[in-house]
Parts: sequence; C-alpha cells; structure tokens
Amino acid sequence: MATTTASITLSSSDLLSDNLSLSATMNLYQNGTTATGLDECNYHRAHIPTGTSFDLIQDSAALSEDASYVYIILKNTDVTDYVKISINSEEIGRLYAGDWLFMPWDNDLTDTEAATDPSGNDSSIEIQAYTHEAVIEYALFHNGETLLTSADS
Amino acid sequence: MATTTATITISSSDIMDSPISISNTSTLYTAGTNTGISETTGLGRKKFADNSNIVLLDGGLTSGIAADVTADKSAKVYLKNMNDRGDGTKYVNILLAAVEIGRLYGGDWMFIPWCAASGKDIEFTASDTTETTLEYTCFYE
Repeated sequence: MATTTASITLSSSDLLSDNLSLSATMNLYQNGTTATGLDECNYHRAHIPTGTSFDLIQDSAALSEDASYVYIILKNTDVTDYVKISINSEEIGRLYAGDWLFMPWDNDLTDTEAATDPSGNDSSIEIQAYTHEAVIEYALFHNGETLLTSADS
Repeated sequence: MATTTATITISSSDIMDSPISISNTSTLYTAGTNTGISETTGLGRKKFADNSNIVLLDGGLTSGIAADVTADKSAKVYLKNMNDRGDGTKYVNILLAAVEIGRLYGGDWMFIPWCAASGKDIEFTASDTTETTLEYTCFYE
C-alpha cells in the first residue's frame, strides 16, 4: 500500500505577542486500519468560469463511510478573485487567490438521482468562481470510487 | 498588519508511478485585499467523551469570540484530532451545520475556509464515547 503524508505549518512572527509556529503531519490511511495507506488518487487542474456552481468532485457510493481527503488551491493572483466551496449547498467558505484547503471528505448523503445527474441532494464538493474565471488545482485521495458504466460500449 | 502563512506539503513516493510532491504556502489576507489577517481565537483544546453533536465554532453569534468572525469573508479554521489512531475505527465526524464534511481519525488535521454565517456552525460528532481531544484555531477578520 502507498505511503502518503500531508503536513501543515502555520506560522507568524507578529500576529500574537509571541511567535506562532504550529506544525502537524498525518499519514493518509484507509478507514478501519491501523496503518494501511490510501492507494488511489485523482489530481487535476481546471478553469472554472464564473456564474455557475459546479460539482467539482462528484459523489460516489464507494466513497461513503470511508476515509477520503481533498486538497484544493486557487491559483489566481488577483486578490479580489475567489471561489466558494460548498457541500449540499452549504457553503464551507471562500478561497481567495493563493488560498488552499485540505480536509477529510465523506460521501455521507445518499444520492437519489442517477450518478450522472447532479440535481439530487448529495455530498459532491461544489465550486463557484467569482470576479474572474478561477484556475484551480485539486486532488482527491481515496480508497476506490464507483466509475460510471460506459453508455456507448 | 500581521503576516501569517499556511504551508501544506503532500508527498508520496509510491501512490503513483512517479512521486507526488505538492507544496504551497498561502498568506492569510483579509477578503479581497493583500492586508494580513490580524485576529485569531488562539489555539484551543477541547476534550470530550460524548458522541452527541457538539458545536465547536458557532457562526452568526451575537456575543463571544465567534461573534467577531465576520461572515462571508476569509476566515480559516484549523482542526486536529489529537488522539492516537488506534485500530483506525474511531474518528470524529466534522459537520458544517447538519452536513457532514468528513472524518478526522486520530492524528488527522484539516484546514478550511469558513464562511461563518448564521447557522453555519462547525460541529463535530465522535464515533463513540472514547475520550477525544481536538485542537483548533480560527484566523479571521
């Protein structure tokens, strides 16, 4: 199994009266294991036009009740550009130019629509760009997802 | 104004044929500016032995520290489950309002933007009643 690590460092010399220096490192393990690494991932770069909320990471039944992790960064450089990140229409927050997020993700909601239909209530991670087209990079580390059956085979 | 940075590194030598090495640093600015965020809740620690739903950061409050977090700006939240991983079956569900975001197993951390609007609380529910410790901080304007 693969070994994947994610580390964060938060630091500031002038936010508080003393230095802020916080670091953490984690291994990306499968649910219900002591130390078996996730061994699947998707890593993308995309341009997101303004005006519409899109499903960025589609829900998948195989990702339910499991350990998955999402990384998203907004690569724009204009400080007024941002994207809203949401799940099931609940806005998590805004990534401004240069901001990134890293979070666990569980496909918790049962989608009543077809897998190709984004209209149902689901746990898909949604994104909407504001001000200008957003250039993002994002990754999903997971333990297997349900692929769609080819319709034209 | 303060300069606060958040650096992430994700690396793996064997999840794909070629190594993955993602590294980025962001400076925490107020919304739509290059002025540094100058407020924080500080680093907090919460112990609990309860598997009911608990509000960690209450969006839209009219008093208390969370009331200072201006909604729909550029607040950021860091959370870490300080427990040991154990057998990998114990975790804390992290929710935004009633919507589950994902699971933090022992040793896991997350760093997300937070809209902090009314009702957009950051909540958690443990998988059982094992004593669990969370560390958290919020940077905001």
